[in-house]
Amino acid sequence: MNVEKVVFGFFAVLALTLNLGFVIGDVDNPAHHHVVIFFLVVVVNIIVTGLKLGDRSQIGALLLATSLVADLELIAAAIVWTFAEHVSTAGLTGDTMVIIVSLASGALVANVVSVGVILAETLMLRR
Amino acid sequence: MARAALDSPDSHRVTFIVLRYMRRPILMLVFVYAASMVGWVMIPGVSVNGADQPLSFFHAFYFLTYTATTTGFGEIPAVFSDAQRMWSIVSLYAGVLAWLYAVGSIISLLQNPHFRNAMAQRRFAKLVARIREPFVIICGFGNTGSLLARGLSDAGVTAVVLDHDKDRINALQLRDYRVTMPGLCTNARIPARLIDAGLRRTNCRAVLALTGDEEVNLKIAVTARLLNPTVEMITHSTSEAHEEALASLGKDVHIVDPFHTFGRYLAATIGNPGIYVLNRWLVNERGASLDDVPELPRGTWVLCGYGRMGRRIKEALDELAIDTVIIDPKGESAPEELPNLIVARASQATLASAGVHRAAGIVAGTDDDAYNLSIVLNARALNPDIFIIVRQDLHMNQILYDQAGAQVIMQPSLVSARRILFELIAPLLKPLFERLRSGDGDPLLEHVFSELRDKVGSRTSPRLWTIDVNAESTPALFALIDEGGSAALGDILRDPVAREQQLACVPLVMRSGERIEVMPDSRQTLAGGDQVLFCGSDQACLTLDGTLHNEYTLRYLITGVEEARGWVMRWFNERGSSNESRAR
Repeated sequence: MNVEKVVFGFFAVLALTLNLGFVIGDVDNPAHHHVVIFFLVVVVNIIVTGLKLGDRSQIGALLLATSLVADLELIAAAIVWTFAEHVSTAGLTGDTMVIIVSLASGALVANVVSVGVILAETLMLRR
Repeated sequence: MARAALDSPDSHRVTFIVLRYMRRPILMLVFVYAASMVGWVMIPGVSVNGADQPLSFFHAFYFLTYTATTTGFGEIPAVFSDAQRMWSIVSLYAGVLAWLYAVGSIISLLQNPHFRNAMAQRRFAKLVARIREPFVIICGFGNTGSLLARGLSDAGVTAVVLDHDKDRINALQLRDYRVTMPGLCTNARIPARLIDAGLRRTNCRAVLALTGDEEVNLKIAVTARLLNPTVEMITHSTSEAHEEALASLGKDVHIVDPFHTFGRYLAATIGNPGIYVLNRWLVNERGASLDDVPELPRGTWVLCGYGRMGRRIKEALDELAIDTVIIDPKGESAPEELPNLIVARASQATLASAGVHRAAGIVAGTDDDAYNLSIVLNARALNPDIFIIVRQDLHMNQILYDQAGAQVIMQPSLVSARRILFELIAPLLKPLFERLRSGDGDPLLEHVFSELRDKVGSRTSPRLWTIDVNAESTPALFALIDEGGSAALGDILRDPVAREQQLACVPLVMRSGERIEVMPDSRQTLAGGDQVLFCGSDQACLTLDGTLHNEYTLRYLITGVEEARGWVMRWFNERGSSNESRAR
C-alpha cells in the first residue's frame, strides 16, 4: 500500500462527489445550490492540484492538467457568484445561477476524467 | 544541406518534358482561337434596328468554347447571318482539328516511355522524401534482396529498393509489407538515382549493394562512400580483387561473400548443430524450436560439389578437423593434393565407392537443385541412417525439397540475407556467433540455450532489440546514471508488476565502449553510451521500454520502495524521516 496513492485517491474522489452534490438540482434555482458546498468543492479541488505538483511521469502530467481545468472552471464560477452577490444590483438571479452551475458541471467532467485515469493506472499496475 | 543539393538534377524533368511536348499544340490552339475570334468580331450579323451588329469578343469566345470542343451546346447569342454561318463552318473545323491535335499529343506524351520513366522517378523521389524514420537502400532485388526486404519489413525497418529489372520492381509492388517500400526500376550505377533513393538524407542508415554484378556493387559502394561518407555499407562480393577494393573504402563497409558465409554456416552446423537451431529460432522460422537440436553423428562426411562454395565448405570443415570425401565431376578445377577427391558425377556407384555406407553424413552442395535432389535420393537408398544436408538454390523447388526428406535444407541466399539482416537490426549478434563458433563455444551454447529456454520459452517467437543508454531512447535510465545512481541489468529486467520476477527476456550481448561482453551477468551495471542486445517476448520488450522511460518505475525496481511523486508528499516524507532521526 502506498500512502501517497491513498491520500491522492481520497481527495480526488472527494472532489468528484462534492462536485456532483453541488451540481444536482434545478439548474436555475439558487435554492438548490448551497454556497458552503461550493466553497468545499473549490478547496478540495485546489488541494488535489497541489498534491500532483512535482510528479514528472506522463500520467502525473495528465492528472495535473485535468485538475487544473477543474480549478479554472470553479474559480470562474466563484468570480461570477461574487459579482452577482456583491456588485450587481439584481442579486443572485436564476440566469446567473445557470452560468455558475454550467461551469461547475464542466469541472465535474474534469473530475470524472481524473478518477478514471487513477483507476486505469491502478488497474494497469496490478500490484 | 541546401534544398537544391538534395534535389536531383532530374527532378524537374517532368515539367520540362510536358512543356516541350505541348508547345506546338498549345500554340496551334491559341492561333486557331485568335483567328476565329478576329473573324467573328468583323463579320456582320443579322441587322437589328438598321445596324449590322457583329459578335462581341465575349460572344465569339463563348461560341467557340462549345463548338470547337464539340460540346454542342445549343444556345447561340443571336440569330446568325449567312456570312456568319459560313465563318462558323470554317472556325468549327479548324477548332476541332486543333483540339484533336492537342488531345492526341497529350495521349502520346502519356505513352512516351521517357515521360513514364520521369514520372516514376518523381513519384519515387517524393515517396522517399516522405520517409521520416531511419531506412536502408537495397540495390538489387534478387533472391537475397527480396528475402531481406521481407525480414526488414517484419522488423519494422523501411527500405528503398532499386533494381534494373522491371519484373522485379513489379513483384515488389505486389508484396504486402508492413512498412512502405518504394521501388524504382533503374540502373543503380547512376549516382543521381542513388540520390533520388535518399542516399544523402540524414536518416539513411545503410546502402546494400546486392546486385548480381560485382562491378555494379563496387560502383555503388564507391558512389555511396563519396556522396555520404558516414553511411554504412553492406555489399555482396565473391572475388578477392573486389573485396580488396571494397575494403579500401574504409570502415563501415561490410563485405558479405555468400559462398564464404554459406560454407562457414554449413560447417558450423556440422560442428555444432545448436548454432543452426539458434539461428533459425532467432529469425522466427516456421517450426523452429530450441528443444529439437539434431544429433549429428561424428565421422567422415561426403561432400558433393567442389565449386567455389564446395571449397569454402571444405576449408571450414578442415578447420573443425572433420574428414571429408569429395565427389565432383570436374577434376581439373581441384588441386592435386586432394587425396579424397573422386572425379565423377555423384551416381549411386560413385556414392558407394565414396563410402556412403560408413559415412556420418553427406552434403549435397552443387549449384543444381535437381542434381542435389538426386544425390539425396541415392544416398538415402544406400544408407537410410545417413545425415543429409542439402543446398537449395531456387525457392520454387521448395515442395520437392520438403518431400526429399533431408534433415537440413540450406538456401545460400537465405543464409546471406539473414547475415545482412542481423548486421542491420542487431549488429551485436555478430560477437555472440563468433564466440559460439570459437573453441570455447560449447559450454556457452549450453548456457545460451538454457537461459533462453527458461526465460523466453523454446517455442515462443522471439524478438531481438537493442537498447542504447542515452538521453533519447532511455531517458529515465540515463537521468538516473547521470545523477550518480547505478542500475544493474538484473534490476532493470525486473517485472514492474511483480518485482521479484524477471521479464521474459535475456541480455545476449552488452557493449560498453570497446569492451564487448557475451551473456553479461545480471549484476553488471550500465553506464551512459552502453548498448545491450536483448532477446525475448514482445511483451517484455514493451515493458522494458516503459521502465526505461519512467523514472518512478525504474527507481521502484531498483530499490523496491515506491517513492512519493508530488512535492507535498515528498516534503511530508522527508520531515517524517528527519523527525525519526532526531528522535534517535
